Amino acid sequence: MAINLQKINIKFYLAENAVPSPEEAFRIFSQWIPLTTDEILIDVADYRHVARGPKTVLVGHGANYTFDNSDGRYGLLYGCKIGTQGSNAARLRAAFAASLKACVRLEQAENTVSKPRFVGAEAVITINDRLHAANSEATLEQIRADLESVLDDLYAGAPTQIEREGDARQRFTVRVRVEGDFETADLLANLAASGAGAGA
Amino acid sequence: MNETLTWKDHLGDRIPEDLGREVDIFETEIELRRQGKIDEVVFAETRLRRGAYGQRYDSGQRFDGKQTQQLAFPKANTKGPNTEWHAPGMMRIKIPFGGLNTVQMETLADLAEEYSDDILHVTTRQDLQLHYIHIEDTVDLMRRLAAVGITTREACGNSVRNVTACPLAGVCNTESFDVTPYSRALARFLLGHPDAQDFGRKVKIAFSGCRDEACGLVNLHDIGALGVTRVIDGKTRRGFEFYVGGGLGAVPHQAKLFDEFVSEEELLPLSQAIGRVFARLGEKKNRARARLKFLVARIGIDEFKRLVLEERAILPHDARWTSYIQGLDSDDETPLRPGQALQGLQLPEGFSEWFGTNVYQQLQPGYVVVTVYLPLGDLTGQQMRSLAAVSRKYVKDTIRTTVEQNIVLRWVSEADLPTLYTDLVDIGLGGSAANTIVDVTSCPGTDTCKLGIASSRGLAGELRTRLAEKYHSLDAAVQGMRIKVSGCFNSCGQHHVADIGFYGISRKINGITVPHFQVVLGGKWKGNAESFGLAMAAVPSKNIPLVVDRLTERYVAERQGDEIFQDFISRVGKRDVKAMLDDLVQVPTYEEDPSFYRDWGDTREFTIDDMGKGECAGEVVPLALFELGAAEREVFEAQILLDENNFSGAYTMAFKAMVAAARALVRSQFLDVSDAPDTVIAEFRTRFVDTGLYFDTYAKDKFARYLFRMQEEALRNPTRDDAHRAIEECQLFIEGAFACYNRISDAAGADALATA
Ligand code: SF4
Repeated sequence: MAINLQKINIKFYLAENAVPSPEEAFRIFSQWIPLTTDEILIDVADYRHVARGPKTVLVGHGANYTFDNSDGRYGLLYGCKIGTQGSNAARLRAAFAASLKACVRLEQAENTVSKPRFVGAEAVITINDRLHAANSEATLEQIRADLESVLDDLYAGAPTQIEREGDARQRFTVRVRVEGDFETADLLANLAASGAGAGA
Repeated sequence: MNETLTWKDHLGDRIPEDLGREVDIFETEIELRRQGKIDEVVFAETRLRRGAYGQRYDSGQRFDGKQTQQLAFPKANTKGPNTEWHAPGMMRIKIPFGGLNTVQMETLADLAEEYSDDILHVTTRQDLQLHYIHIEDTVDLMRRLAAVGITTREACGNSVRNVTACPLAGVCNTESFDVTPYSRALARFLLGHPDAQDFGRKVKIAFSGCRDEACGLVNLHDIGALGVTRVIDGKTRRGFEFYVGGGLGAVPHQAKLFDEFVSEEELLPLSQAIGRVFARLGEKKNRARARLKFLVARIGIDEFKRLVLEERAILPHDARWTSYIQGLDSDDETPLRPGQALQGLQLPEGFSEWFGTNVYQQLQPGYVVVTVYLPLGDLTGQQMRSLAAVSRKYVKDTIRTTVEQNIVLRWVSEADLPTLYTDLVDIGLGGSAANTIVDVTSCPGTDTCKLGIASSRGLAGELRTRLAEKYHSLDAAVQGMRIKVSGCFNSCGQHHVADIGFYGISRKINGITVPHFQVVLGGKWKGNAESFGLAMAAVPSKNIPLVVDRLTERYVAERQGDEIFQDFISRVGKRDVKAMLDDLVQVPTYEEDPSFYRDWGDTREFTIDDMGKGECAGEVVPLALFELGAAEREVFEAQILLDENNFSGAYTMAFKAMVAAARALVRSQFLDVSDAPDTVIAEFRTRFVDTGLYFDTYAKDKFARYLFRMQEEALRNPTRDDAHRAIEECQLFIEGAFACYNRISDAAGADALATA
């Protein structure tokens, strides 16, 4: 039986000197709430006091967007929370598209002090669903073909390195690395050009 | 793993049958609600009884410097107090006596990651809370908890809430005996008990092992049991000094002594009998007066006791009342490692400071309790999982949450402290200053609570940051003080029992709503919450850190000997203390400093409109504000009289202040109203209560009824308690008058105000 990939999380890292302060993150996310029409965003949660974790969370009905430093590095973590339709590959594409759209939106945000900028050449994919996706090699093998096809489109054929991380208690997580520099806007365009994800 | 797998199948018989059935029923109820076959009100109570709570969200409006703008926003689905039934909400998870094991911790970590925003929050009653949970996810969440022995049943709603106990029980130097097994037994006994299902309001129960410390906070609970021993027939017997009718909330009540010694055999049946009496005689219609404390106050402790004992006498025997007593010794915890003294090792950086604040020497030689300090009670899923791993290295499932929103590891061998400290630092949980002034306690406030008025967590975070920066330069007496913050008068942050407490209010300044906090002084944390503080002054949120600085600096400068803060405040006198804060009460105009018009931790302009609106009509001139200010001064005078033990004067002055506040509102419509109290109250009732103008979405007309009741009762010889209550009620009545004024002035419009 095929694995049912749901609750896909994707994190892109911020360049080191381009990390918004908690105040700025709160302000940007608060501004998104009323201006976003294609999904329901409902609140901003401030956890700046937590040493490593979700620092500022834009909570949505279907997905959260988080300034996150759980692994010691700041990035934007997109987390889909509700069941979605389509093949596993389509869901992965949709998650990448939603994640990159948010990154681009941040990079283009006006009046920011930090001028957020993302590192496109590295991404962390987590399946936030231990029941259907244990953190094991078996899970990786089940999704590898779908993942590789999406990454192929995303990085326009550039060779990617996929590495599984963490132990069995943690959620299924893989880190993707690509040689070279990639702008998030270009990655988003690559996905759109491949004919999928534009509507995510 | 395949796509048809469910948690229910996966966990199978690891879910206890009774809990599993409960969850199945709830799943069906969700489906029926989805189909519109269960009314929202009925579903709300059923969901609350299972720990699923509605949450507050962004208000969908902003103040732009001139006026409040409604934003183009899908508000109907997601906003404010009237959120849709299926909007993501909070899940409260009961942790009886705060006891956790490592498997439970790992499950909680998984749940925080998979269903919440990756944050676990420890509450002031030893519960854990997860936020932004989709209602569809609650059933799997409950099943996964049930599989590790945790239930969310009766975590909210009109039921017996989490039974709390000292986190040091069993290892404490001052306790009579370990109250843990008793709190566990009572929690189990009352969970789902038929005699605990028909209450008008919640019942909170706490256990404490001694009288003088604050760990159990017995005095502020509906039922409080304080462990004591007695020699009977030459044998030392365990029992409880038993208290009832305590509670914080809008008007706090000190618990009343029910019996000096309730034997361990009588603990469960007596509690059951109390449940029956409360279910039978407690208020059901008027939520505002439905807590046990109101029943005890209404009929008196003697009559209450008589009724309970009468009920106890006719209870059918239940073997569970005493069966747990035989197995008490099996509850005793054991250490993982031999207890050894800390050696003269080379200690890691920061260790000494952490040792000074986060380590408690157990009664058992060679062992200590380590407090893992959680800023604002929060930790991430991964931190909880890592903490479980760290705990396994040093202790045997002897882990507890605390009412100060931390986690303690008990039975740590002293010799292990340096490595344990290093392990905690590695997972971001090695913070020192636990149980100090830096360790500010806060309720969720406006972040997620629908009743919140000002941002308690925002303020707590700001105070914590500032105090941590200068902690080393603070006097030792100040370092040991406690600050507690609530987002509103309901006191979930327990502000009444802090050295310095704050609760959120709002004030209208030049037509704009400004977040404020009432400064509450005089509370005593020690002695199981020995005394409750009173509000002193309404200060804009932005100035609150200065309030803390001023109070603590003056305390250090003028302290006499070992004088504690409360004694210092009462020696200096409230009049003097208030004068010290006078300039901090002032609010600059928006143009001068817009930061006063935003709350801590929030970059948006402040609003309380997401709390829901009352009806608005008429017009109030600023004269009303002026007169309300005068009423506030009178209630302050009442506090002074109370301090001087002039109970009758304090009571009368509180009533006078209420009448003055009512008159301030009446005069906005009927300028020439006389100042005869009966006339003012009659006019106030007709013009403001009957019309619904003096109304709060949640408190409804509760505060107005305080006035009417005082008019009726007109006590001739009020006790200290009566006077204290009158002042509390007066303060709330005046807050209600300010809120009423704010709503009316909103309706009248900013322009009308400016020209008035
Ligand atoms: S004190 Fe008020 S704001 Fe805080 S949790 Fe309680 S009801 Fe909510």
